[in-house]
Amino acid sequence: MSNRANGWLRGTIVRKSGVSTASSTRTSTPQIQSTSTTVFGGGVKDASGRTSEYFSMEDQCPVCKSDRYLNPKLRLLVSACYHKMCESCIDRLFTLGPAPCPICGKILRKLAFTPQTFEDLGVEKEVAVRRRIAKEFNKRREDFPDLHAYNDYLEEVEDITFNLINDIDVAETEARIVQYRQENAALIELNIQREEQYAQYLKEQEDFERQEREQRAAELRRAEEEEREEREKGRREIIDKLETSDKDAIKLVARSRLEAMRRASARSTSSGNVLQSSSRLLRSRAAQSTVVPDVPHVPLQDNWYAYEDMFTLRDNYDDPASEAVRRDREGIMRAGGYRVEQAWERALRCAVAGLEIMPLEGLHSTASDPAAVPGAGGDVVMASA
Amino acid sequence: MTADIASPAAESSTAVRTTLYEASTQYRHWRYSLEQLAHTRAALNTAAVSAIQEAFESDEPGSSSSVSFLNADEEHLLVKLYVGKISQLCGHFRFPEEVEATAVTYLKRFYLKNTVMDWHPKNVMLTALFLATKTTNHPISLEAYTSHIPKTAPSDVLDLEFLVAQSLGFDFAVWHAHRSLWGLWLDVQSLPDAPLDDLRASYDTALKYVRASRLTDAELVYTPSQIALACLSLASPSLASTWVRSKFPDPEITDPPVLGVIEPIKTLILADGSPPEVEAVREVDRRLKLCKNPEKVVGSKAYLKKREEEERKADEKRRRKADVIKRAMEDGDPFGSELAGRTALDDDDDDDED
Repeated sequence: MSNRANGWLRGTIVRKSGVSTASSTRTSTPQIQSTSTTVFGGGVKDASGRTSEYFSMEDQCPVCKSDRYLNPKLRLLVSACYHKMCESCIDRLFTLGPAPCPICGKILRKLAFTPQTFEDLGVEKEVAVRRRIAKEFNKRREDFPDLHAYNDYLEEVEDITFNLINDIDVAETEARIVQYRQENAALIELNIQREEQYAQYLKEQEDFERQEREQRAAELRRAEEEEREEREKGRREIIDKLETSDKDAIKLVARSRLEAMRRASARSTSSGNVLQSSSRLLRSRAAQSTVVPDVPHVPLQDNWYAYEDMFTLRDNYDDPASEAVRRDREGIMRAGGYRVEQAWERALRCAVAGLEIMPLEGLHSTASDPAAVPGAGGDVVMASA
Repeated sequence: MTADIASPAAESSTAVRTTLYEASTQYRHWRYSLEQLAHTRAALNTAAVSAIQEAFESDEPGSSSSVSFLNADEEHLLVKLYVGKISQLCGHFRFPEEVEATAVTYLKRFYLKNTVMDWHPKNVMLTALFLATKTTNHPISLEAYTSHIPKTAPSDVLDLEFLVAQSLGFDFAVWHAHRSLWGLWLDVQSLPDAPLDDLRASYDTALKYVRASRLTDAELVYTPSQIALACLSLASPSLASTWVRSKFPDPEITDPPVLGVIEPIKTLILADGSPPEVEAVREVDRRLKLCKNPEKVVGSKAYLKKREEEERKADEKRRRKADVIKRAMEDGDPFGSELAGRTALDDDDDDDED
C-alpha cells in the first residue's frame, strides 16, 4: 500500500483524470512554453517526464481579472499558499523581491510558483504535501519488528499528512517532522538508496529486455533475407540444370524441392534456439522473484502403521484388472489424477493388513469395544504449518 | 504416503503405533467370535419373538399359540438367500465387485442389529444395494434402479434407507477380501520363482472362493487378508504357504500363525459357501408371512393400534405447540420469550417423521 502510494507520488504513475475534467475542452494538454525565465518545480510529471498543466477556457486571473478571452496565452501558476495568479501578475508583483500574496497576504517569492496540474487546488496541495512527506517518511515494513508497529507508523504518517493538508497545528506538526528526521536520518538515507537501487534494477531489466527484443527482430530479418536468397538461388539452379542436363525435368525439380525443404527445416530448428533463449530469460526472472521456498503442505500428520515394511511396490505387474487403465494412451481414465500404482499399493496393503490378528474366541471378548483399541479415538494431529 | 512424513516422530513409538486395519470401524465395531455371532442372533430372535407374541396377544388373545415363529438359524438362512440375490442383481446391473461385496456386508451387518421378522430382507436387500452404490462411488439414479426391478417402487428403497444406515452405525467403509486377493495376486509376482500361468488359474479359482466366502460369516470373524489367503490356499496351497513364509521369514517358527488361522476359514467356506436350498427357504418364507411383526403389517389391528398411538402422541404434541404459541401471542410477543419458546419448539422437530 505504502509502496504504491510512494510510486504515485513520485510521479511514475500517470493520473490523467485531473487534466481532462468535464470543463476542459481539450483532451490532451499541450506543453506550454513558459514566458517566464523561472524554472518551476512542482506539478506532476507524466510517463514521458513532461508536466501536464491544467488548462481551461474559463481561466481567469483572480488578481488582474484578465481571462483567456482577452489573453489567449494566459497561464496561471499556483503560489506556495495555493492561490492562482497569471504570469504577468507574478512578474509585476514579485520581480523586485519577496512580497505579500495579494489574496492572503503571505510573503511569497517568484521562485515558489508552480504550474497547476489539477483543477482542484486542494488536490494540488495534497499531492505536494504527500510527495514531501513520502520523501522522508520512507520506512518499510521490514524496518519494523511486527505488523502492529508498522501500522502505528503508517497511522502517524497519515496524521501528519492530514494536519499539513488541512493546516491543523502546523507548527507542532512541523516540529514532529523535524524530530522524526533527526531520529531517523540514517534510515531515511538508506531507504532512499534502496529505492534508487530498485529503480536502477528495473531500468537495467528493461534495457536488457529491449536489447533482447531487438536482437530477436534482427535475427528474424536475417533469416527472412536468407530464405529469400536461397529461394532465388534454388530457382536459378533448377533453370541451370534444366538447361545443361538431359535428365527428366520432373525428377530434377522434385529433387531440388526436397533439398529446399531440408534447408528450411534446418533453419526452423535454429530459430527455435532464439525462442528457447527468451524462455530461459523468463524462467530466470521467475526464479529471482520466488524468494520463499515452496514447501508442500501436509494437512494431517498421523501415527498409524500402514504396513510399509510388509511389501514392496514393483514398477510393473501382470495385472488383467488394471490393463485397460494402463493401455489407455490418451489418459482419459487417468484424467482425475488416478494412478494405477496407487490402486496397487492399496491392494498390497490390504493383502498384508491384519494378517496376524487372531480371531476372537468365546463369548466375552471385548475387542469390539472401541475403548479397547489404543489410540482408537484417532491420534490424528493437525499439522502446525 | 503420510507415513514418510510422520516417520521422524514415529521412529521412537513404532512399537505402539496402531495399524491401519485396527483403526477401521470394521475391526472396532464389526468383529465377532463365532460364539458371539450365535449368541447375538439368538438374543435378537428371542427378543423379537416375545415382542411379536405380545403384539399378537393384544391383537387377539390366544392367537399366538398357533403361530410357529422362526428360530435364529432360519432367519439366517433367509438372509443368506438374499445375499445370493444381491449377486444376481449386481450381475444384472453390471455393478463392480466392490458394490456387490459392500452391499452383502451391509445386509449381514443389518441383521446383526435387526431381525427378519421385523424387516423383510427383500426390501432391506434392495436398500442395502442402493446404499452401497452410493458409498462406493458408483451411483445410479433411483428411477433407473427401481425400474429394472419388478414390483418395486422408489419408496420401497428410500423408506428403509435411513434405518439401514442407522443400523450400520454409519460405518460405510468396508475392507474387502477381494481387494486383499488382488494384492496377493500382485505380491505373489514378487516371489523369486513365480510361475505366472499357474498363478492366473489359481487366482481365478481363489476369486471364486472369495465370492463363496461372502455367503458365510467369515468377514465378521476374520480379517479380509486372512480370508483372501485362505481362498488362495484353497486354490493353490503351496503358493499360499510360500508367500506366507516370505512374509514372515523367522527361522525359529516353522509355521507362521496365519497358516493356522486360515484352516478354519477354509472349512467354513467349503461348508457354508453355497447358496441355500430354495425349497427350505421357501418354507421359511411362507412361515415368515404368518409370524411377521403385526405392528409393521399394514391393516392389522396391532398396526392400526400403533398408528393410533402415534397419532395420539403427535396430536398431543401439536396441541402443546399450539398452546405455547397461543400463550406467546397473548403475552404480546409472537415468538414467545426466547428461552421458553426454544425449549417448547425443540421437541417438535420430529413431528412429521413418520
